[in-house]
Amino acid sequence: MSLLGADLRAFIAAARKEVRQQRRYPTLFLGQIFWPVLLPASWVLMGRAYSGNDPQALAAFADRAGSSNIAVFVFVGYAMYNWLSVLLWGAGTALRQEQLRGTLEAVFVTPATRLVPLFGPGVGMLLPMAVIFASNFLALRFFFGIFPPIGAVIQAAVIVVLGIPALYAIGALFAASVLRFGEVAPVVQLIRGMFVLACGITFPVAMLPLWAQVWAKILPPTYIVDDIRRILLRGDTIADVAGDVAIVLSLAVVTGILAVAVFRYLEMSARRTGMLGQF
Amino acid sequence: MTAAPAVETKDLVKVFERGRRTIWQRLRREHDKRERFRAVDGIDLVVEPGEIFGLLGPNGAGKTTTMKMLATLLIPTSGTIRVLGIDPLMRPREVRARLGAMLSGERSLYMKLTGRENLEYFAALYHVPPGETKARIEKVLAAAKLADRADDYVERYSTGMRQRLALARALLPDPPLVVLDEPTVGLDPQASRDLRDRVRELKAQGRTVLLTTHYMEEADQLCDRVAIIDHGRIVALDTPAALKRTIRAEEVVHLEIGLDGDESAVIDRLGRSATVARSERSNGTLTVTAHCASARDFVPAAFDAARSTGTTIHHVEVVPVTLEDVFLALTGRALRE
Ligand SMILES: Nc1ncnc2c1ncn2[C@@H]1O[C@H](COP(=O)(O)OP(=O)(O)O)[C@@H](O)[C@H]1O
Ligand SMILES: [Mg+2]
Repeated sequence: MSLLGADLRAFIAAARKEVRQQRRYPTLFLGQIFWPVLLPASWVLMGRAYSGNDPQALAAFADRAGSSNIAVFVFVGYAMYNWLSVLLWGAGTALRQEQLRGTLEAVFVTPATRLVPLFGPGVGMLLPMAVIFASNFLALRFFFGIFPPIGAVIQAAVIVVLGIPALYAIGALFAASVLRFGEVAPVVQLIRGMFVLACGITFPVAMLPLWAQVWAKILPPTYIVDDIRRILLRGDTIADVAGDVAIVLSLAVVTGILAVAVFRYLEMSARRTGMLGQF
Repeated sequence: MTAAPAVETKDLVKVFERGRRTIWQRLRREHDKRERFRAVDGIDLVVEPGEIFGLLGPNGAGKTTTMKMLATLLIPTSGTIRVLGIDPLMRPREVRARLGAMLSGERSLYMKLTGRENLEYFAALYHVPPGETKARIEKVLAAAKLADRADDYVERYSTGMRQRLALARALLPDPPLVVLDEPTVGLDPQASRDLRDRVRELKAQGRTVLLTTHYMEEADQLCDRVAIIDHGRIVALDTPAALKRTIRAEEVVHLEIGLDGDESAVIDRLGRSATVARSERSNGTLTVTAHCASARDFVPAAFDAARSTGTTIHHVEVVPVTLEDVFLALTGRALRE
């Protein structure tokens, strides 16, 4: 039996454990359905109030955003926001809880690769993410009467799936960093805020100052959000956004390597000082 | 079987830094004011295959730190370690695969998972072959007497059950060596007895057990050999019986003697048939702790001594020598403060 095979099975066991644990905290789950629908809906109504459906105002928005369909624009942005939220909270608190309860130490005395505790918790975030995207889709359909062509929806879903590794890596990097600082909440607020501002979540990236637009270029969510909008609103296809997809996948690799490096550094420092970070 | 020791350490040292160094202090390159102190201060150990070896010492003696170095969780400041002949610094994964470690006990379980689900997860982490997993889990569950509660959430377990589950988890890789850090701390007497029985079973199965404890009865009853550890150093190491022999007495007699005048005469007389380890006068009562070869001989002699010095013995208590007395004799302090 090869070591790689054994580690792969360890990872699958970690994924099962995450999903089981998630199933047993169902209340957390319900909260994840209402806000993701309520928040963007209020922004869409606000946007409509501003434009008053005035063609000139809508044209100005389309000029910067690439489409006058405010509802789809905002909902796609918010789906990404919620995805990031769930991911940062989920991965950050999962690893931190393991540290506090002593389960991380129990995992560290096993021969399994350290990639298991680092990347395991992310699996638990996949289901809530799917729920968020589905509820957003249904909200657009039933509250705003928007029916994007089915082909576009499928292609957008493919973009989401291709974005998973990058977001996964962001979650892992975040979780590893949180171990060093101990407190999850303030760091989530900070990082999430940064993404909201930089990645065109609620407004077009074109509205940002130039230096911030450069910053936005190294954050995978910027591309994912933009690609989904292009596919749903402008009729682009996956082939049209292939370059972006390649960038997102590359960023996923870089971020993933960074996450592993941070986690290894923390483990080594813990083996010297007896403490994983400060707490 | 080779006769290689299960655990061997030479001049093992772990230095910790106390206090913290803030990022601000680092940036300004301020002088490092952290106090360095030796939690483990030169420990030499040889644990033989098949024995139950105990590290006995008060809180803060350095027991956990030693165990964590053996279990690859801490890197020693200096010294060498061999676990089953393997250097945990160079080949940590091999050590982890062969070692059953129970370090933080019942806390380190997933409360929202069942006992069985906890074991399934860790069986995969221990790289138990998939074909063997189910049987291995059934086996450790049965041995831990948890088979009937295996499908309950761990949050509904008693502390004793959780501790047994944590031990069952440590046995998943079928390890030749098991290290247990304070396995009975926080357990009620019955649960402690159960756990000690489990440890004896491990020995009967041919495994080596290294455990820490600050309960001297536990070390005495359970361990083949005991290292008494204080301030990161081993102050004595032998079988419990041999350790107790070092204070050269078979029994300890506590006396309460009523007297009016000077106590030196009676102490002098008592000293002819025993070692007076301690005596304390408060008002009209003299309390004496005497170490003697046989209480049956000493107690009548003590009454003779009292009669001939005009004093009265109010109370006699004969107790066997314990490791507590050994620790007291070696360090001048009680094991439990
Ligand atoms: N990570 C650490 N950093 C600094 N000091 C520590 C650390 N871990 C333990 N200590 C200190 O080292 C000493 C020995 O601790 P420990 O090995 O836990 O003792 P024991 O298990 O015998 O009670 C104690 O004084 C403890 O406060
Ligand atoms: Mg301890």
